[in-house]
Amino acid sequence: MSIERERLDADVLIVGAGPAGLACALHLARLIRQHNESGGKPELSTEGIYVLEKGRDIGAHQLSGAVLDPRALAELVPDFAKTAPLDTPVNDDAAYFLTASRAWKLPITPPPLRNHGNYIVSVSKLAKWLGGLVEQAGVNVFTQFAGAQLIHEGEAVAGVITEDKGRDKDGKPKDNFTPGYELRAKITVLAEGPRGSLTKHLVADRHLDGLNPQVYSIGVKELWEVPPGRITPGWVAHTLGWPLNSSMYGGGWVYGMRENRVSLGLVTGLEYHNPRFDPHEAFQLFKTHPFVRRILEGGKLVRYGAKTIPVGGWYSIPRTYLGGCLIIGDSASLLNSQRLKGIHMAIKSGMLAAETIVDALRAGDTSGTKLSAFRHKVDESWIGSELRSVRNFHQSFQHGLWLGLAHTAVQFVTGGRGLVDPMRMKAGHEQYHMLDGAGPAPPRFQGDGVLTFDRLTDVYHSGTRHEEDQPCHLHVLDTNICVNRCIIEYGNPCQYFCPAAVYEMVEEKGGRRLKINFSNCVHCKTCDIADPYQIIDWVPPEGGGGPNYEGM
Amino acid sequence: MKVAVCIKQVPAKDAPLHITDTGAWIRETDIGFEMNEPDSFALEEALRLKEKHGGEVVALSMGPERTKQVIKEALAKGADRGIHISDDKFSQLDPLGSAKSIAAALKKDNFDLILTGLQSDDQGFGQTGVLLAELLGMPHATIIMQIEVQGQRLKLKKELEAGWFQWVELPLPAVLTIQSGINKVRYSSLKGIMAAKKKEIAVIARESLGIAHEPTQRVERIYVPQKAKHTEFIDGSPKEAAAKLIEKLRHEARVL
Amino acid sequence: MKILVITEQRDGKWNPVSSETLLAAQQIAAAQPGSRVAAVVIGKGVHGLAEEVAANQLAEILLVEHDLLDKYTPDGYAIALKQVVTQTQPDLVLLPHTYQVRDYAPKLAASLGKGMIADCVGYRAEKERVIFVRQMFQGKTAADVSFTGAPPWFVSFQAGAFRGDQVARGASAAPVTAISVNLQAEQIRTKPLDLFREAKQAVDLTQAPILVAIGRGIKAPENIPLAEKLAKLMGGELAASRPICDEGWLPMDRQIGSSGQTVAPKLYLALGISGAIQHVVGMKGSRTIVAINKDQNAPIFEVADYGIVGDIFELIPALTEVLEKK
Repeated sequence: MSIERERLDADVLIVGAGPAGLACALHLARLIRQHNESGGKPELSTEGIYVLEKGRDIGAHQLSGAVLDPRALAELVPDFAKTAPLDTPVNDDAAYFLTASRAWKLPITPPPLRNHGNYIVSVSKLAKWLGGLVEQAGVNVFTQFAGAQLIHEGEAVAGVITEDKGRDKDGKPKDNFTPGYELRAKITVLAEGPRGSLTKHLVADRHLDGLNPQVYSIGVKELWEVPPGRITPGWVAHTLGWPLNSSMYGGGWVYGMRENRVSLGLVTGLEYHNPRFDPHEAFQLFKTHPFVRRILEGGKLVRYGAKTIPVGGWYSIPRTYLGGCLIIGDSASLLNSQRLKGIHMAIKSGMLAAETIVDALRAGDTSGTKLSAFRHKVDESWIGSELRSVRNFHQSFQHGLWLGLAHTAVQFVTGGRGLVDPMRMKAGHEQYHMLDGAGPAPPRFQGDGVLTFDRLTDVYHSGTRHEEDQPCHLHVLDTNICVNRCIIEYGNPCQYFCPAAVYEMVEEKGGRRLKINFSNCVHCKTCDIADPYQIIDWVPPEGGGGPNYEGM
Repeated sequence: MKVAVCIKQVPAKDAPLHITDTGAWIRETDIGFEMNEPDSFALEEALRLKEKHGGEVVALSMGPERTKQVIKEALAKGADRGIHISDDKFSQLDPLGSAKSIAAALKKDNFDLILTGLQSDDQGFGQTGVLLAELLGMPHATIIMQIEVQGQRLKLKKELEAGWFQWVELPLPAVLTIQSGINKVRYSSLKGIMAAKKKEIAVIARESLGIAHEPTQRVERIYVPQKAKHTEFIDGSPKEAAAKLIEKLRHEARVL
Repeated sequence: MKILVITEQRDGKWNPVSSETLLAAQQIAAAQPGSRVAAVVIGKGVHGLAEEVAANQLAEILLVEHDLLDKYTPDGYAIALKQVVTQTQPDLVLLPHTYQVRDYAPKLAASLGKGMIADCVGYRAEKERVIFVRQMFQGKTAADVSFTGAPPWFVSFQAGAFRGDQVARGASAAPVTAISVNLQAEQIRTKPLDLFREAKQAVDLTQAPILVAIGRGIKAPENIPLAEKLAKLMGGELAASRPICDEGWLPMDRQIGSSGQTVAPKLYLALGISGAIQHVVGMKGSRTIVAINKDQNAPIFEVADYGIVGDIFELIPALTEVLEKK
């Protein structure tokens, strides 16, 4: 089916308006201005910088805890302390180990979890604010547009095709059908966040994977409003243990924000063995622990969301440069899983990419070789030193919590080397144990509707919505596998790991069928990551669809 | 044809509604805003008229600074220029006061046609279009499904209740309120978004229009209707329960 | 308080919604001692209709006839009624919130420099004044609105806000007074052509006073006609929760909820609907909610005024039978 697409030519195309993409755009605009002002040739223009964002507004798809290490923001916007929407400085942090009924406070907060000098932020608000600065700098930010396909020219990336809009559920053009644009650019920057759809295919097709495959965790979060006095703004608590068992990677967080708001959530490594594990349910249980319940009692759920986090670390960083292309931020695995921080690295990587791009544009050379300078810059910067110091962290936990902590202790005193360097690890989706006659599935979690909620109620509070009459954006390559193999081998884990109740196995005359409620999707990418057969391909739906993570 | 479209910016449909302490309106901080959906159909209709008959489409809106967003969206979809009547206290105007301000701003140009949506999704007074017609001395028609231009006259298909429709004719210039759902609203194109940045948005401060108007009505308070959380369960056999229910619906709730 | 009700007819046929407005007027009058209610019958050749209306408990029927009022036009009605209002000086002018009223009433009020509070669902009579209640944010909230400034005050009531069949009949027929109005042909700018029927593309459930909604409990599309019949018997429309439309058993325009329509009818009957929040937000503004579900813990019961824990396949026929008898 050949469609005529309108073509637009840009100098730099940035896919994703999160902290990485926006930092790149802002810094790039600044460097271009400086270049032009100092009489640099050829003269460059900010008008040739385009940023694509699939969300309804900038910040709509941004979700994190989050505790921000401001070092990168201080480089990008020196007066950030006065102008950035920082919720509150951290003034008290603690780590707890939870059992089913008790909370044991660790006498010393482990150094990676110490947050003095950091700020509790809403990454969504931060992105919105950065977006404002980027637009003021004269850069075009196009919200409600997604990068659907990469354009290749030989070995190089030549741009992106945006998604078609106005197709009905059978893919046929509707009255307002608008084909995607052929957006060509000298340099395309992939800043799609964790498990970016363009990044995933590029890395797979060109064999750009790092030493270890990328591994992910899922973070399930709720934002609550609690009675006054219940929480101190600036209070940061991290938990280990219950409700996760010691074979699982992950932990919880509770952050006190201003105006009686509490950010809380549970992170679970997507490499657990039990295919019926339900990360959303685990988070709901987390809230019932007395330690958490006493904070939330009498409060009100404000918003819900879920997103994956790339936790593979140093050895999972793919090749981040190609002819005409750079990969930055979460898409490039630039996240410190030990400190649970990636926003500062995303911002810094955006800035380093901007420097690389300006050099390339000045020299008229956008080859992979020229752009490889980006990786050197990353390695030489504090991103490199920080990630190297925790390079085997996540992998330490593949044999359980206690072994993991032991490894971590050794790594801590050996600058990251530890007992095994590099520690190899399989991809998460290869770690399920088959059901093997495990018995009937346990009943699904209902929630009490006051403290805990079922997934549908939570999904409602994510503000997610999609154009209903459009093709399903979750491509399952062979549903026969679901109905004939997976049902026996793994019990269809998609019904459990999806935090938005998108996937359902429904009874039908003669058997079962996979029903996909795509309009519930919160764009977390868990299904793309955790499906044991890797037959789910998440592609961007029509731009504008997805969650509304205001304040998250 | 010179067409004006009056567009309102309203809280996003899924925005959480928190009523202010005074109880007279909702908290506007920290919520998203969007183009009033009924007005998006009016805009689409205006753009189609321009495509068919040539001319100009002007997008007008009234409200605080954030209102520019919906004007820009209209420009991105193809409107030629915008008019922003700036007023921070817009939400406190009564329908007549609101219409008087818009009429004053529109009077400066000689529009052939003025389109509005049926009503706004927030206050839903549903009067702006008809009031504009009266204030500007123009003929009007409401709940329009189809527009045919015949020289200086229009032939219009109106929707009536219960599946009835009617054609009416009237002369230009005129005001029309457009039925929702009559067209598929177009997407903003990338080129349209870029071009919108260069299009003019004239800003008029509402006070400068010099409208002397005493409000005719006042919203005293807004509240979530308190449903007495009392569910009356009706038991008995299906036949008994059915009979009891109908009885209650007829004589207690009085809805049947 | 002097109350004037503008009633509606088309081709001599009474629009029953007008009875609701008459009742509203009677009730408001009863709350304000010394009040007087008159009703306007406007058109051409409607003298017979006026005599029928006179059977109600009213002080007077004002018959407004003119050749140019034969067919409805906004200009004709607004100009004629402006003269009637100016002549009779009512405090409160009440109208039913019909498509026709939406078309001319704001113009009528504005031509007198007055405002209109439209689409009200109720009122509260306080000592010195009346406060009108209407919905805002598509039924998510209610709003109390009052008039500031001198009368006449214009108010329209939503269909179903009052029970038209409870209008009080008069002990004797009210006097019918003809009022003459001035209308010139060149004042009527709209030329109305013929009316016609058409199969409507999409049904507007927001206009239905009664909705019978089905959920997953209906189990199969073959069972839907049962619910449809019940809806028709009640004088309502069929609606559905999302899963039914997802399966394609009913078109999308029947869907109620956050991804469908938001409605606030006077009666919402939820059959086999669990009450997930996505559905409830689309209908919780309904004035009376009845839920029938097998599961006593279904969240729908939290918003229901009346609930029956039972099998819809037994209750739908039972309800149908009761309604068919009367």
